[in-house]
Amino acid sequence: MADKKKDVLLQIKDLKIEGYSDEKWVEIVHGVDLTLHRGEVMGLIGESGAGKSTIGLAAMGFARDGCRISNGSVEFDGMELTTTSEADRRALRGSRIAYVAQSAAASFNPAHRLIDQHTEAPVYHRMMKRMESQEDAIQLYERLRLPNPDEIGFRYPHQVSGGQLQRAMTAMAMSCRPDLIIFDEPTTALDVTTQIEVLLAIRDIVEQFDTAAIYITHDLAVVAQMADTIKVLLKGNEVEEADTRTMLENPKDDYTKSLWAVRSFQRDEKPRPGGDSVPVVSVKNVDAAYGPVKVLEDVSFDVYAGMTVAVVGESGSGKSTTARCITGLLPPTSGHIEFKGEVLPPSYKQRSKDQLRQAQMIYQMADTALNPKVRICDILARPAEFYGGLKGGELKARVDELLDLIELDPAKFYYRYPPELSGGQKQRIGIARALAAEPTFIICDEVTSALDQLVAEGILKLLDRLQKELNLAYMFITHDLATVRSIADEVVVMKEGKVVEQGPKTEMFTPPHHPYTDLLLSSVPEMDPDWLTQLVKERGVEQLGENADRD
Amino acid sequence: MALNYFVIGYYALLIGASCMTAHYNMRGAFLALFSLTLASFVMGIIGGEPALWSVTVGAGVIALCAGTAFAFREFLSIILPHEGAKAMRSAPLTASFGLFVIGTYAIAGIFAPIIAPFGEAEVIAQAFEPANEEMLLGADQLGRDLFSRLVYGARNTVGLALVATIAAFVMGALAGLLAATVGGWFDQFMGRFADVIMSIPSLIFALLMLSIFGTNLFVLVIIVAIIYSPRVFRLTRAVAGNIVVMDYIEAAKLRGEGLWYLIRREILPNSTAPLIAEFGLEFCFVFLLVAGLSFLGLGIQPPTADWGSMVRENATLISFGEITPLIPAGAIALLTVSVNFVVDWMLYRSSGLKE
Repeated sequence: MADKKKDVLLQIKDLKIEGYSDEKWVEIVHGVDLTLHRGEVMGLIGESGAGKSTIGLAAMGFARDGCRISNGSVEFDGMELTTTSEADRRALRGSRIAYVAQSAAASFNPAHRLIDQHTEAPVYHRMMKRMESQEDAIQLYERLRLPNPDEIGFRYPHQVSGGQLQRAMTAMAMSCRPDLIIFDEPTTALDVTTQIEVLLAIRDIVEQFDTAAIYITHDLAVVAQMADTIKVLLKGNEVEEADTRTMLENPKDDYTKSLWAVRSFQRDEKPRPGGDSVPVVSVKNVDAAYGPVKVLEDVSFDVYAGMTVAVVGESGSGKSTTARCITGLLPPTSGHIEFKGEVLPPSYKQRSKDQLRQAQMIYQMADTALNPKVRICDILARPAEFYGGLKGGELKARVDELLDLIELDPAKFYYRYPPELSGGQKQRIGIARALAAEPTFIICDEVTSALDQLVAEGILKLLDRLQKELNLAYMFITHDLATVRSIADEVVVMKEGKVVEQGPKTEMFTPPHHPYTDLLLSSVPEMDPDWLTQLVKERGVEQLGENADRD
Repeated sequence: MALNYFVIGYYALLIGASCMTAHYNMRGAFLALFSLTLASFVMGIIGGEPALWSVTVGAGVIALCAGTAFAFREFLSIILPHEGAKAMRSAPLTASFGLFVIGTYAIAGIFAPIIAPFGEAEVIAQAFEPANEEMLLGADQLGRDLFSRLVYGARNTVGLALVATIAAFVMGALAGLLAATVGGWFDQFMGRFADVIMSIPSLIFALLMLSIFGTNLFVLVIIVAIIYSPRVFRLTRAVAGNIVVMDYIEAAKLRGEGLWYLIRREILPNSTAPLIAEFGLEFCFVFLLVAGLSFLGLGIQPPTADWGSMVRENATLISFGEITPLIPAGAIALLTVSVNFVVDWMLYRSSGLKE
C-alpha cells in the first residue's frame, strides 16, 4: 500500500516518445514523469491513444517498431535504460522486468507447452536449471490457484481457457522473480467472472513477492482494486497522479471527473407496449447446433418495437449464436424466428430482400466489419442503393443525412477510408450502415466492448437517441453489466446455451436472483478499492477456485 | 603486375574509401569495400591488370545503374501525383531501377517501328556482318539488323508474354475467387482440377498441345494461360479464403448481395496487393517459357523477331567467341531481374508497412 515508502525502483523523467507516420516523426508522449517504489503498484489509465502501453514498454527501455524514445531518462534500479546497450537491456528483460500482454492467447506460442515456455526465461538467464524451474512453475501455478497445477503446465495453450492462460502468463512473468512487472490490460479480453479470478491471482502474487507493478488499463473499477497509486494520462500527457483513495474520492482535474462519471449514464426503463401488439422479433423455442455439438437449447424471448433487450452471459453461453440464428446464418435445428408475427425462413438465403432489410446487425469489431478498401460514402450508399433504389443526388443526400445522424461531419468523412478513422468513429459508421437499410430491428453484438469507456458511452447515447427517433428495436448482446444497466429495458440471462432468467431490467437488478445472475452481478468490479477484498470474504477463495475449475 | 598509375590509383581509392567508411562507422559499406580490397590483391596477382580493369568496369556499371535508379526515383517522385510520389520516396533503389528498365522496354515495344532503323524482316547486309555506323549491333545470320530485331522482339516476346499472363490471371483469379466464395464441392472440384494440371510438366504439356493444335499465336496464348492459371488459382483462393470470413463479407451476405458483387466489390479490392506481386512473378515464368518454346522452334514463328529464337539462330557465333547471341539472352535476363526487383518491393509493401 501507499504508506510503505521504500527505495525508488523505477524513475522516468521527462520521457518523450516519437512515432513515425506519414514520413514524419510525430511526438506521441510529451514528457511524462513517473516514480515507482519497490513493491508499489501503479495504475496507468486513459483512453486508447493516451500512450499508456507506449510508456509501459518504455519502462523496459523498449520502443515499438516505428517508435523511438527521443528524450528523457528511464532509470531502473540505478541503471539508465535509454543509453545502455541492447545486450544489457536484454539481460534485464524477463529476469528483472517482465511483461504481461493483453491477449495471452496471442502471446503464447501455440506450438509449445506452457511449462516449456515458462522455463525458457530462467534457463536462458542461467538462474535455474530446467527441472528446478519446472518445480517452481508448478508451485506458482498452485499459488495462482490454477486447477491441477501438477499437470496443467504440460498442456498446449489452446487446451486451457482464456482466464487460465492469463494466469499462466502471470506465473511465467514471475518465473525469474522480477522486481517489476508490467501488466498491459491483462483482463480486458475476459468476461467478468473470469476477470475476478485473474485479478485476485495477480494481486496476491504481487503482494507475496513484493513485486512492483505497472498496471495499464482503461477500466477504472479494475485499477481501483489493484493499484496503490493511479496516474491518469490523456493524449501523451499526464493529467494527474494521486494515491488510489484520494483519486477516487477527490479527483481534481475535469478530465478525470469525466472518466469517473462515465458509468452514470442511465435511461429509464420502458414497459412493454400493452394490448395485443405483436413483438418485432420473437424467438420461439430455438435449438441450434454446430455439427453434432448442441449450442442452443430451447431459447425463447420477444423484442418489442422501441425496446432494448439485453442478452447477457459469459463467453460461450450462446449469445452470439442466438444472433446468428435470428439473422439466418445458422438455421436452427428446431423452433423458429417470427418477425412481426410471420415466420421467417430459417436461412438468410431464403429470405426476401425486405425481410433482410428489416433486421440489421452491428458488429463487435468495427475493424473487421467495415471493408478497409471501400470509402465511407460507398459503404453507406450501398444499402440505400440496394434496398431503396436511390441514385445520384438523392443517394448523396441520404449519405449526408446518415452521417449527420451519427454526428460525423459529412464534409470531412465522405471520402475517407475506414483505416483512417478511430475506433469510435468506425463503430459509428457501422451503426450508420445498419441505419441506411431503414431497419426496424438491430442486433448489437458487443458493440462497445472493444472501445474505451468515454467512447463507449458516446455510442450508447447515440444508440439510445436513434432508438427514440426511429422507434427501433434492439437486441443488445453484451457481457458488460454496466452497459445493460444503462441501456436495457429487458434482460435475458443465458448460460450454456439456455435462458436462465429473463424479465424487465429493474426486476433483474433487484434480488432475489437466479444464482447465476447473482454471480454475474456480483462479479462486476465496483469503484470501491475494498470491493475485491470484500468479495473474497463473502464468497471465499475456495468458491473462486471452483469457478476456475469450471472454465 | 606492373605498378602503373592505374594500379596505384585503384588501390589508393579502395583503401581510402575503406578508411572513410570505417571512420564514419558504416559497418556494412566498410566490410564490402575492404573485402573487395583484399580480393583485389589476390586478383591482381593472379589476373594482372586486366582483372582489375574488369572490376573497375563492373563497379562503374553498378554505379551507373545505381545513379540512374536514384535519378529516376527522384524524377518519378516529382512528376507523380501525391500517393505515387509518397510510395516512390520510400522505394528502394532496386525497385526504381526495375521500373526504369521496364519503362524502357515498354517504350521500345510500343514505338518499335519508330525506334528501329530497319524492318524486322528486312535483309540489308551480308550474313553476320559486324557492327558499323548503320548497324549498331551488326547483322544476324540472314543479314538483318540485329538492333532492329531486338527492338521488335521487345514488342513480340514481351507482348505475347503479357497477354498470356493476363489470360492466366483472369482465368486463375476468377476461379480462385469463385472457389473461395462458393466453397463446398465446387471448391474441392476446382482444387483437384488445378492439381491435375499442375502435375503435368509444363514444357512437355506445351509441346504436346502445340503439336496437336499447331503453332499459332492464339493457341500459344491459351496453352500458356492454362499452364499457369493453377498457380494463380491457388494463391487467389488462399488470399480470398482469409477475406471471406471477415465480418464485412457476412454483412454483405446478410444484405442479400449476389456472388458477383461480393467478389468484385468486397473481396477483390482486398486481395489486389498479393495478386499484383504474383502477376510480376508469373510474368517472368511465362516470359521464360515463351522464350524457351521459341528457342525450341515452337513459339513465335520466323520471320517475326523474337528473343528466344534470336538466341538459337545466332548460336553458331558463340563458337567464334562473339557475344552477339547473348545480347537477346541478356535482354531476357535484364527484364526478368527488373520485374523481380519491382515485385520484391510490392511484396514488401503489401506484407507489412501499409496503413
